[in-house]
Amino acid sequence: MSKRNLTYTNPEPCSHLAEYKQNHSSRGYNSLQPSLKTNPNGRTTIKTSQSQIPRCGSCSADEGRLYFCLICSSIHCPDHAILHSQVGHAIAVDVDRAELFCCVCNDQVYDPDFDNAVMHKQMKLKKNPQNGKLETPDKKRRRKVAILERETEATEGVSCFPWGLRGLNNLGSTCFMNSVLQAMLHTPPLRNYFLNDRHNREICQRRRRIGRRRGPPEMSCLACDVDAVFLAAFSGDRTPYSPARFLHSWWQHAANLASYEQQDAHEFFISMLDRIHEKEQSTLQPKVVGGDCHCVAHRVFSGVLRSDVTCTVCGFTSTTYDPCVDISLDLDPRNIASTLTGCLDLFTRPEKLGPDQKLHCEHCGLRQDSLKQMSIKRLPSVLCFHVKRFEHSSARRTSKKVDQYLQFPFSLDMTPYLSSSVIRNRFGNRIFAFEGDDACKAPSEFEVFAVVTHTGKLESGHYVTYVRLRNEWYKCDDAWVTRVSEAAVRASQGYLMYYVQKMLYCRGGEEMNCMATSPRHCCL
Amino acid sequence: MSNDDNSSPHSQLSSHVFENLLDSIIVDIASECHRISILGLDCNLEGEEEELRLSAQARRRVADSSNSGETNSKHVVDIFGQTHPAIANEIFECMNCGRSIMAGRFAPHLEKCMGKGRKARLKSTRSSTTQNRHSRGNPVSVYAPYSNRAANGTADEYANGSLEES
Repeated sequence: MSKRNLTYTNPEPCSHLAEYKQNHSSRGYNSLQPSLKTNPNGRTTIKTSQSQIPRCGSCSADEGRLYFCLICSSIHCPDHAILHSQVGHAIAVDVDRAELFCCVCNDQVYDPDFDNAVMHKQMKLKKNPQNGKLETPDKKRRRKVAILERETEATEGVSCFPWGLRGLNNLGSTCFMNSVLQAMLHTPPLRNYFLNDRHNREICQRRRRIGRRRGPPEMSCLACDVDAVFLAAFSGDRTPYSPARFLHSWWQHAANLASYEQQDAHEFFISMLDRIHEKEQSTLQPKVVGGDCHCVAHRVFSGVLRSDVTCTVCGFTSTTYDPCVDISLDLDPRNIASTLTGCLDLFTRPEKLGPDQKLHCEHCGLRQDSLKQMSIKRLPSVLCFHVKRFEHSSARRTSKKVDQYLQFPFSLDMTPYLSSSVIRNRFGNRIFAFEGDDACKAPSEFEVFAVVTHTGKLESGHYVTYVRLRNEWYKCDDAWVTRVSEAAVRASQGYLMYYVQKMLYCRGGEEMNCMATSPRHCCL
Repeated sequence: MSNDDNSSPHSQLSSHVFENLLDSIIVDIASECHRISILGLDCNLEGEEEELRLSAQARRRVADSSNSGETNSKHVVDIFGQTHPAIANEIFECMNCGRSIMAGRFAPHLEKCMGKGRKARLKSTRSSTTQNRHSRGNPVSVYAPYSNRAANGTADEYANGSLEES
C-alpha cells in the first residue's frame, strides 16, 4: 500500500452523487442541518420530528434502515428507497447514522461537503472550551532533531561488533538497573547527546564546586555518572563494566529506593529520568517559561497526553493536557492473545467513570455521569511502554506477576492513538479539518530498539534486555552479551518496550561500528 | 431463535425486537468499517497483520527450539569470546569507605556502608522510638543533635552521624 500523505484518501463520488452535486451542490446538505441531532457521545442522527419516529412514506415501516431523500425530504425503507431512486432521487441520508447513501449503487458514499455540513452543525452546538493557545508547529524541536541526525552520520570503518555493546556486571540483585542502562545506552537521541559531549563533566563539576561554597555539601550529578557509563560502554573495551559509581550516585539521590533488594526496573527508569531532570533543570538557562522542559530526559522521553471528560447528558467536554515520560498499559485479563496495539486501543477507549467519580459538568451545573477518553497529543522522540505485569494490592502485602504473553510489533504506527485520530473517530471519522491537525503528517512511525524482559517470580525474577543494533538483536544478560534471533525477541515477555521515531532510527547511526579512535571524534 | 410451534406472541415479539437490535448493531459496525476503509484510515492493516504473523511464527519456533534444549546464556561464551563467573569477581575500591570490594557483592556492601536499606532504616526508627520514650516532652531527640527538623520521626539519622539527604 502506498504511504498516504494526506489524512484521508479523497473518495471518488459515484456518477449519481456527482450528478446530484452538479444539480444541487450543498443546498440539500445545508437544509438538512436543522434535522441533524448529535448525541453527547458524538454520534449524529437525523431527527425530523420531535414527536414522531421516522417511518417509510410508502409503507409506514419504522424498523431497519430508513433513508431520508435529500431532494424531496421524504423518508423510505430500503425497498421503497430503490423505487424512489427511479424517479431520479438517488441520493439519500441514512437516518440512523447520518451517512450518505446512493440508492442506485446501493452503497454508502462519501462527500467532504456533506461531512463538513454535519461537523459544522456539531460545532455550533457543542461548547468546546478553548484549551490554551493553538498548537503551533514545533520548529525548534525539529531543528534539534536535525542537528542530532547530522552529527551521527555513519562513518566508514571496519565492520566488527556494534559500538557500545558491553556487558554490565551484576553488583548484587542489580539486574533491574543493568537492564534499563542497556536500553538507555542504545537509545539513539540519548546516546548521541552524551557521546556528543552535551553534558560536559568538567563544566558541570566546576559549577557544582561553585555551588558548594554555599549551602549543603554537593552530591555527585547523576547525569555526570550517566555520561561516565556511556564513555565506558563506547570505549571499545569489551570486558564487563561494573556501574558501581553510578549505583552509589543513584542511591545518594534516590534515598527511598536505596536498598539491596530486587527492585522494579520501571521504577528505576522513572527515578533516573527524574534525577537527570533535577540536575539539568537547575543549570538550564533561561528558565523554561510555561512550556516544555528542555532537559535531555524530557526532550527524549516526554510526550503530552490529552484527557477528555465528557458529560453523558449534554456532551460538554473538559480537556486537560499532561506531560508523560512513558505509557503504562494494563494487560487485558480476559484476552488470551493480547497485543500491544490492543492495549493501546484499550488505553484510548472511552471509559465510563464510576458513580463515585461523577464530574461536575459546567454546562449542566451539576455532577453527571461522564466518559473519559485518553489520547496522545504529542508523541515523544522515544516511546517507553510499560506493561503492568506486577499487580500490587493497596497494602502491598499481596502482589502477583502476570505472565501473559504480549505481542508487540517491530514497526509501530501510532497514528490511531493520536488525539487528532481519536477525536476524529469520536465524531464518526468525518472528512473535516479538525483543530490541531498538522498540515504535514506528524511523525508517528516508530521502530523498537530495546526490550526489557522479566522472567521468573515477582521476588526472585531476573531482568534481561534485548537491544537492536544494525538490525541484529543482542541479549544483554548482566555481563553476558550474546546474539539472538529476531524470533527470540518476538516471543519474549516484554515488560518495558522502547520505540524510537523511525526517522531517528534509520539515520541515527545504526551503521556505527567499533572504531580505533576515541568515541568523541567519531560523532562530529 | 428457534421456530417453536408454541412460541407465544410475547416471545415472538421479543425475538423480533432482539433481531432488529442485532441488525442495527451489525449495520452500524459495517458502516463504520466501510467509511474507515474507503477513506484509507486503515492503510496499516496489512503491516499489522504481517507483524502478528511474524510473532506467531516466532513463538512456534521458540517453543520448538526450547524443546531441543537451548537458551540459558549463563555459563556460556559471549559474543566477544569471554566467559564470566556467576558472581562478578572484578575488584575495585568502594567510593564511600575505600575498601576493596568484589563487584558481585558491592551492592549489599554499599547498602550497609551508606547506612541505607531496610535493615538500616529499621534500626534507626527503632532507636528513635526508644529515645522518644525516654525523652517524653522534649521536642528535640537527644540522638539527633544535627537535626534541624522536628523530632517526630521525620529526620532519619544514621549510625555514622550523617543526615539523610532527600
